[in-house]
Amino acid sequence: MNGFMGRLLLVDLTSGRLSEEALDSGLMHQFVGGAGFAARYLYDRIDVHTDPLGPENPLLFMTGPLVGTAAPLCGRYEVCARSPQTGLWGESNSGGRFGPFLRFSGYDGVLFTGKAARPTYLAIRDGHAELRDAAHLWGKDTYETQEAIQAELQGTKLSIACIGVAGEGLVKYAAVINDWGRAAGRTGMGAVMGSKNLKAIAVGGQGQVPLANPDAFSAAVQATIEAVKEDVKGQFLTAGGTASTVDTTMWMGDIPNKHYSMALWEPVAKLGGGTMAETILTGQKACYRCVIGCGRVTRIGGRHATESIDGPEYETVAAYGSLILSDDLEGTAYASHLCNRFGLDTISAGSTIAFAYQLYNRGILTSKDTGGLKLDWGDIEPALTLTKQIAHREGLGDLLAEGSRALGRRYGVEDQAIQVNGLELPMHDPRAFVGMGLVYATSPRGACHNQGDMFLVDLGAPVPELDIQLGNRLESSEEKALMTSRVMDWRTLYNSLVMCVFCNPSADLVLDLLNGATGWNLSRDELLPLGQRAFQMKRLLNGKLGLTAANDRLPKPVLQPLVDPAVETQPPDMSILLPAYYRIRDWDEFTGMPSAGRMTELGLQDLVAH
Amino acid sequence: MFNFASEEWVQALKEAINSSAGYAEAAKTWEGDFYFIVEAGGPIAQETVMYVDLWHGVCREACLCPDRSLKNPAFVITASLPVWRKVIDKKLDPIQGMMTRQMKLQGDMVKIMKAVKAAKELVECTTRVPTKFPA
Ligand code: SF4
Repeated sequence: MNGFMGRLLLVDLTSGRLSEEALDSGLMHQFVGGAGFAARYLYDRIDVHTDPLGPENPLLFMTGPLVGTAAPLCGRYEVCARSPQTGLWGESNSGGRFGPFLRFSGYDGVLFTGKAARPTYLAIRDGHAELRDAAHLWGKDTYETQEAIQAELQGTKLSIACIGVAGEGLVKYAAVINDWGRAAGRTGMGAVMGSKNLKAIAVGGQGQVPLANPDAFSAAVQATIEAVKEDVKGQFLTAGGTASTVDTTMWMGDIPNKHYSMALWEPVAKLGGGTMAETILTGQKACYRCVIGCGRVTRIGGRHATESIDGPEYETVAAYGSLILSDDLEGTAYASHLCNRFGLDTISAGSTIAFAYQLYNRGILTSKDTGGLKLDWGDIEPALTLTKQIAHREGLGDLLAEGSRALGRRYGVEDQAIQVNGLELPMHDPRAFVGMGLVYATSPRGACHNQGDMFLVDLGAPVPELDIQLGNRLESSEEKALMTSRVMDWRTLYNSLVMCVFCNPSADLVLDLLNGATGWNLSRDELLPLGQRAFQMKRLLNGKLGLTAANDRLPKPVLQPLVDPAVETQPPDMSILLPAYYRIRDWDEFTGMPSAGRMTELGLQDLVAH
Repeated sequence: MFNFASEEWVQALKEAINSSAGYAEAAKTWEGDFYFIVEAGGPIAQETVMYVDLWHGVCREACLCPDRSLKNPAFVITASLPVWRKVIDKKLDPIQGMMTRQMKLQGDMVKIMKAVKAAKELVECTTRVPTKFPA
């Protein structure tokens, strides 16, 4: 099967049995790969009774048809399971080299089931898979783990994905960390690994992805590289990393400040990619074959002196910076380092901590609750201490390890927690780009910016060839709902391919890459329906896991207006956006599920009876 | 009224910048010189090159250049007449202009990203110049 290695590795951790399964070419045609394929594949294997942290929850690492080819922006993988953080569909992706190296090892994906009796890791080298003892790695951080496995398995160039102590301790938003500091951070996939006593996966080999039309593919790769280099977004990312977003969008109220209570806080510029480049930056890192290299390598001095840090990225400088009114760039870099080493999602960790700051400053949390820590706005030190406590489930950290929804529930202010379905909002305030409100409310994995970056579209990155047009960022309208649905379909396809959303070659180039690799001969008109099929598939799976229309809600605080004369913001009007979006999606107003007609239209008729 | 991209317009812009407290504050640590280039097309027979030297919140020099050879500025921003007009009328944010490739930028991206506020103030300055655009 061109574009694929053609097989999945099945690992039953309970019995230690390893086996293989051929990829179903029909399913690949329908769902492409990555998270889209994973949703369909796991649909038959989980239901509302599946304990996310029980042996019965299957965990799938999956790549897509472009991963590990020469195509830029495709050095990624997805990791999917029922999420312990949300109880819904869990999906997270990461860059680096792990995805390509998994393919080079001979497989498109790995499915884990069961639970190992003792700490274990999986090694796949050139098609040979083995489970190995990881007792000596348990308790080690993610960097130590990667170093130890590299030393143990000399001879093959490897990429390693692993968990740190947060995953071992089942922190609900534990991340999977690969290639030193790359993170599949969202929805707690690290905790699922921890629940299975699975410490790491090491992959490498000499395999090559078979291509249907190598010449056409190569031409598409060249054209894509040129397009990416010309894209000013890519140039900003190269120069300033993802934190360049701070510099460009803070004036629109995009970056949330003081736990979503201020539209503009000018010192945040000290956390931007521009300042970083002129101060602590020592190098850049790129995912496999990426010509942008948005990854930052930094060095900090002072009280947390660290020679080499992966990051910080945009989400981290916001979550550990502006959310608690700290402009301490070195502090946010250190927070990034701690989260990488412990294996924590910086968005959920930082946002939950910022919520604790807010509750403390409102007198709802007291020093007794915090173990004497003073959570004063502007001081990052307590946030760093809390991060360590979360990772080790110590003190207040044990509660914070459950996320902001649990923290709010404990103190009777759940409606003040900035989360959707248990997943904390990424650092793009929906009052700066109202389309993000709709994305957060309806994304299949809780508040997520990866399944629909309306902030980028309305900032200036439309996709006119797919009729995704630039719009007024503050206008809640039928048109906005339509554009948002298209963007979400498009990004869902990206997560099936699996492709980086940060820089966007034209849809025609993506099409050429996909056709060149697979030989599928798709037309441009088929791209959005491909994305929508996977999107609705995730919705159906969420329905099976208990989601209804009542879940599609934004947290109250982001529906309150922000007042700052220097910045124009507007809360999303969900009374306009949501009904329009439901009509476009053909979702039932109570169940929240697509109609039988829409499912049939999308080729999902076999699921109608469910 | 000053004709857009004339020597008089450039001088009026210099004056507007130098009397703007907002710009002085926003750009107090920023330095760099620019070519603002209006591409040939429509009523613009040949490309028009404006030079502006910005230094710590003031405009040190501004002039119309016969072509690109006169100076060697750190930054070059190129756009068509309708796009410049949209920016000056505040119908197009310069960052949006760059992202949508309506405006092309050459220069140090790190310095540019640190100048977003200054750029906004600069646009404000252009709005204070009474401008007549070619039909
Ligand atoms: S833009 Fe950044 S995250 Fe995306 S593929 Fe390139 S290096 Fe990786």
